[in-house]
Amino acid sequence: MPSVCFYFEVHQPYRLKPYGALQVGQDHEYFDSKLNGQVFRKVADKCYLPANESMLRLIERTDGRFRISYAVTGVAIEQMKQYAPEVMNSFVRLAKTGAVEFIAETYYHSLAALYDKDEYKAQIDLEVDLIRSEFGQTPRVFRNTELIYDDEIGQFISDLGFDAILIEGADDILDWRSPNFVYRVPGRETRLLTKNYRLSDDIAFRFSNRAWAEFPLTADKFAKWVHQHSGAGDVINLFMDYETFGEHQWRETGIFDFLEHLPDLLFTHPHWDILTPGQVIERYPALGDLSFHRTVSWADEARDISAWRGNAMQQRALAEIYALGTDVKRRNNSHLLALWRRLQTSDHFYYMATKSASDAEVHDYFSPYEGPYDAFIHYMNVLKDLNLSVLGPLEKRIPA
Amino acid sequence: MLGWEYPPHISGGLGTACQGLTTALASRGIEIDFLLPRLYGEEDAPHMHLLGASGSEAIERVPVKTWQSQESPLQEAIANEPSLSTDPILTAAAQASEGAASARIRTIQVPAMLKPYLDPSAYLELLAAGGFDEAAVARLAHELPGPPHRQPEHAHLLGDDLWEWSTEPTTEAHYGHDLFAEVARYAAAATRRVRGRKYDIVHAHDWMTFPASIEIAARANAPLITHVHSLEYDRAAEGADREIVAVERQGLERAKRVIAVSYYTRSLINRVHGTSLDKISVVHNGVYTRATVEAYTQQRKSTGPVVLFLGRVTFQKGPEYFVQAAARVLQHVPNAKFVMAGSGDMLPRMKAMVESLGIEDAFRFPGFVRGADLERTFSTADVYVMPSVSEPFGIAPLEAMSYDRPVIVSKQSGVSEVLRNALKVDFWDVDKMASQIVALLELPELRRVIVDLAREEIRHIHWDAAAEKLIPIYQSVSAA
Repeated sequence: MPSVCFYFEVHQPYRLKPYGALQVGQDHEYFDSKLNGQVFRKVADKCYLPANESMLRLIERTDGRFRISYAVTGVAIEQMKQYAPEVMNSFVRLAKTGAVEFIAETYYHSLAALYDKDEYKAQIDLEVDLIRSEFGQTPRVFRNTELIYDDEIGQFISDLGFDAILIEGADDILDWRSPNFVYRVPGRETRLLTKNYRLSDDIAFRFSNRAWAEFPLTADKFAKWVHQHSGAGDVINLFMDYETFGEHQWRETGIFDFLEHLPDLLFTHPHWDILTPGQVIERYPALGDLSFHRTVSWADEARDISAWRGNAMQQRALAEIYALGTDVKRRNNSHLLALWRRLQTSDHFYYMATKSASDAEVHDYFSPYEGPYDAFIHYMNVLKDLNLSVLGPLEKRIPA
Repeated sequence: MLGWEYPPHISGGLGTACQGLTTALASRGIEIDFLLPRLYGEEDAPHMHLLGASGSEAIERVPVKTWQSQESPLQEAIANEPSLSTDPILTAAAQASEGAASARIRTIQVPAMLKPYLDPSAYLELLAAGGFDEAAVARLAHELPGPPHRQPEHAHLLGDDLWEWSTEPTTEAHYGHDLFAEVARYAAAATRRVRGRKYDIVHAHDWMTFPASIEIAARANAPLITHVHSLEYDRAAEGADREIVAVERQGLERAKRVIAVSYYTRSLINRVHGTSLDKISVVHNGVYTRATVEAYTQQRKSTGPVVLFLGRVTFQKGPEYFVQAAARVLQHVPNAKFVMAGSGDMLPRMKAMVESLGIEDAFRFPGFVRGADLERTFSTADVYVMPSVSEPFGIAPLEAMSYDRPVIVSKQSGVSEVLRNALKVDFWDVDKMASQIVALLELPELRRVIVDLAREEIRHIHWDAAAEKLIPIYQSVSAA
């Protein structure tokens, strides 16, 4: 009996304000709270509130046979409480349906996995605690920032005791294998659920693309594509940004109608059902080990980490923020620690990407700045001020 | 035109220059037969079959599709922003580079073991490595004459004996046993390939094509233009190969006009070869050779980083915003130097403003600069700023970019709509302008990423300017 597994990522960064060189030493407020509030409320109205309503309705209508999973970053939950508490309430209602599973990730949606493993663990612990306190669930399944994954990360997450990890079903890694089975971290019991990127991206990226041969995508058509996999797979993993519903794909595209009809159409085939990641690994055995010879993510054409550290600016910015870790922690100041961690959010580095063609369009879409150079300048000025105004005074007190 | 390299196999600056220039010239109505040496074994065989097929009559004509398939940044900009299509400068430039060009370039490929900037020992290595396959050599055996032996001097290449051995089939297939023999053999083969064709101008790029071009020009009774991208002296300085220098000199002497890629190269040609400066025109390449820029950078006197304004010092160019930004930059980068190059009615006021701000020690006003001074000024700047209040297009930032300088342009300029890899600022936002200058001075990664991407970005745009300078030179030498 094959299954469909939905997972949605909910994240909003703390965007930096345009921070010029002349502000260094003067201005210690780094984030654009006006913009962040505006963006959050806009996305709440266009996506979070109506999409949560749809999900609740679908769960009720199907008596909980429609099931979904979310990862909601800590920084998204903080902003939710601050800017749109009604969104927080609706997520809590979803959590109570019993048909919704919450997935763990890093609280700050950071790249700590690649730079600082202690910090990485600390941010995962923070997120797990948050999910537990806000939604009353203890996550068993993990997804790393932007599905960044390799064998080393797999071992690390396995050591932390998670039962499964969500990853990108990259062609070169899967090779001859299908993404529609459960795999295993080599030598471990930890399961790997691989995103079916063709079917996922049909919804997330291509849904409203009039140049696409399959446009318009109806729920009926999509359900048929899923059903074509009958007998040739255990689970179709549909992983995407939650903002797909109403924000990346506007309401006018018909995305909410699509969502409304999809579950019933999936259920028209008597063999198919819908499970959460935790249920998937209970039901389906792992087919074998899946080893990663490179670091994979779900971003850009390259499906690698070049979206965040593909150029010299990104590498410098990342190296500098993580180099501050020791200093920051020595200070033993929770505000400073949170500030440093907010600066680790991967979006800051994503805005600095200098990619071409279609990748650039996606980066530009998300960026609040005029381009990668401004993003880098603002970020480095903030670090300069942090060093000068906050960490500097500490240095003076430490004898050479 | 005797050039180098053929897309997609572009290996270096000289090939890029030939490609850019040829395409830009063709789009302005110049018909070009583009002769180039082809190394065997590096490219698709079908070309070579054609070539080897029918002896001396074979002239291969390949429409240069790949050169046209790339849209220029101008066309792209117009496609993305329809309002730009009413900009006369942009549309003229974009239209010029469209269509017609492909019909006007024919490539004629001549097998030869030559690539740009070989030296005698590198040639022997290439030969020994067998940069060609055996089958190709076998085909060659029946089609191309081999040189008898390397001759002790090059002058004989111009004589009729050259023609004799170029038409005389030989059973021995081989490349020249040393570099000079190969250059001579190439000259003979190339000459044979274009026998009987009429040319208004023969235009040759760098020394290895000079013997061939001298011969072809003489036979076509056409004026010769030799184009110097770099001299043997540039490449090897005191260790220059005397024979290469001799070939260079011969090309320069036989040329009706010499084209240098910079004023720097022009004066070097004059010093090394004694060629009269009057005979040498400067046509800047789309992209500067790093060597040229570095040569100037070494002459640099000032210690601090240098920020450049270059243009007329008039209201329209926004010089006062540059001065105001400078005052702010100096609070963060106290050793920064500012150069305001140019003249204009606002110059006295700018000097007074600098004095009243108390930053005259950080400022230089060299006045209007041209020629070698212009090159030096661009090469020794760390940042170029164009704070224009209103600028229909603005070519100067492109020029600065061609020296690998990062640029800041006002959003009130046409060029800011075309460029992706430049920092942009409202001319009145002097705080942000200062912040961008500080960032460019303090963050080498920012400079590096901008410069690397900008170099690619401006390649097409700038070749159009080079072609515009070259066409009057063509007209003057063919009319004379």
